[in-house]
Amino acid sequence: MSNNRQSRIRHHRMVVFSLLSLLVLTLILPLIPYAVADLGQSAGKVVNPGADLWREVRQRDRSVIGSTQVKGVDSGVLINVYGEDWRQFRMQRLIPYGAALMGIVLSVILLFYLVRGPLRLQGGPTGKKIQRFTVFERTTHWFTVSVFWLLALTGLVLLYGRFVLIPLLGAEGFGMTASACKEAHNLFGPMFLVAILMLFVTFVKDNFYARGDITWLLKGGGLLGGGHVSAGRFNAGEKIWFWIAVLGGIVLCVSGLILDFAVFGQGREVMELSHVMHGIVALIVITVSFGHIYLGTAGVEGTIDSMTSGYVDEAWAKSHHDRWYAEVKAAAVEDSETEPAGGGSASTGVASPARDG
Amino acid sequence: MFEQLVDGIFWDIALWVFAIGVLWRILSIFRVRNKPDYSVPRDSAIVGAIGTNLHRFMPRREMISRTRLQVVAGYLFHLGLFALLVFAAPHVLFIEAQTGLGWTPMPYWAFIVAAQLAFIGLMLLWFHRIMHPVTRLISDADDHIAAILTFIVMLTGCMALIEEFNGLRVLHRFTVELWLVYFPFSRLMHAFMFIPSRAFTGAWFGRRGVKA
Repeated sequence: MSNNRQSRIRHHRMVVFSLLSLLVLTLILPLIPYAVADLGQSAGKVVNPGADLWREVRQRDRSVIGSTQVKGVDSGVLINVYGEDWRQFRMQRLIPYGAALMGIVLSVILLFYLVRGPLRLQGGPTGKKIQRFTVFERTTHWFTVSVFWLLALTGLVLLYGRFVLIPLLGAEGFGMTASACKEAHNLFGPMFLVAILMLFVTFVKDNFYARGDITWLLKGGGLLGGGHVSAGRFNAGEKIWFWIAVLGGIVLCVSGLILDFAVFGQGREVMELSHVMHGIVALIVITVSFGHIYLGTAGVEGTIDSMTSGYVDEAWAKSHHDRWYAEVKAAAVEDSETEPAGGGSASTGVASPARDG
Repeated sequence: MFEQLVDGIFWDIALWVFAIGVLWRILSIFRVRNKPDYSVPRDSAIVGAIGTNLHRFMPRREMISRTRLQVVAGYLFHLGLFALLVFAAPHVLFIEAQTGLGWTPMPYWAFIVAAQLAFIGLMLLWFHRIMHPVTRLISDADDHIAAILTFIVMLTGCMALIEEFNGLRVLHRFTVELWLVYFPFSRLMHAFMFIPSRAFTGAWFGRRGVKA
């Protein structure tokens, strides 16, 4: 009897011990690899057994394309190697440096205006008008301006909105604004290509290098050395702006189309590169446009008239574009000698509604 | 609150103003009676009316070089806007929900192309209007309001394209309501009147044997 009882107790003890051992082993066994890895790390010999797997997944060292049943561009890439680089570039360089660039240029322009003031016409306007831009040229210019600024403003909202607009509109308000801006930006983007082509075809003939352009640049357009510098229809500064606008516009259009229509097999890396180029070139063109806008409006008296009415004062033409003025006057004299009285001076650039068609 | 107004009473008011206004304008024009013409017709007035309607779709040969921009931009804008208005998928679904009448909408890519052509046309037309000394002189506030309002309606529509935010849809519908209310009292009425107007001129001259 007593033996049976002792045997049962022993049996129970063994069962309990076995269960406890099983429980302990169940809890401890999975920890062994970590313990080994930890020991190895401290000893500098044993590595994490999952390290290779996660290295492959994260792909920090090289781009690994795996196999998958999903068909599509980059579908075999689990994590893009350059994605984080691109994100960091956008957040830590493009956004702050772009803001600094625009802020510095705007400050310099404001300071220049406050110190020097607008450039006045020497001797004042004569009252005699001379045609500088035709209706088509002005229509092309303002069409390009409108599309450019619609794209610039919506693009700046997408780039800086989270810093500037969220405090004002809240997260939901900014979300809606950003969505609207994104749609408008994507829709107006291809229109910029049309605008740039129109701008190029309309103005290119007068924007090639001409004798005197280097001199104009060396004298800073008259800022260095005093007095106005001789120039043709467009001075060297305007020519540089034209080519920045055209070539920058082409880069913006191509990179924008790559981003806008992601259906032609372009992968993430191409998209990231396009985005970087798009952002850098956009910020440069926007910044340079500040100078163009200043000189075309408040900076130089009488310049804005050339793009609104199409006509400028003769004093303005003589002062800023003397060679062009001489050409126009010579052509007007030639026309008046070859055409009958009242034949007009439509082709000379001198005021005539006949040329406005 | 604003959303309920825009989707409810504002929409009803805008539709009624548009419908009654357009009918009133058309009837008031057709009620104007000319003096009876007792002269012997030299040619058919009907042929003149139809012919003028067709001829006016093309610029006169003498004017082609001077009106190229307006003609191209005009066609881009009007055809693009028509396609957007009638065949854009959101519009087709909206009309179907309101009236029960539905048809096949155009694909997304066609919508984008139509919108871009319409925008390019409208912007070029408006800039030409304010840049040309003659059209600038003969344009009044109505011309500019009509163009800018149409631009805003199109822009808000494109901004709401993704249909993710109800606020953008409401904004677009509100601008459409403003456009509908403005329509009968403005030159936007040419959408309904250009055919009868051409027909009247064509018939008037056609009866006299003159090609208008």
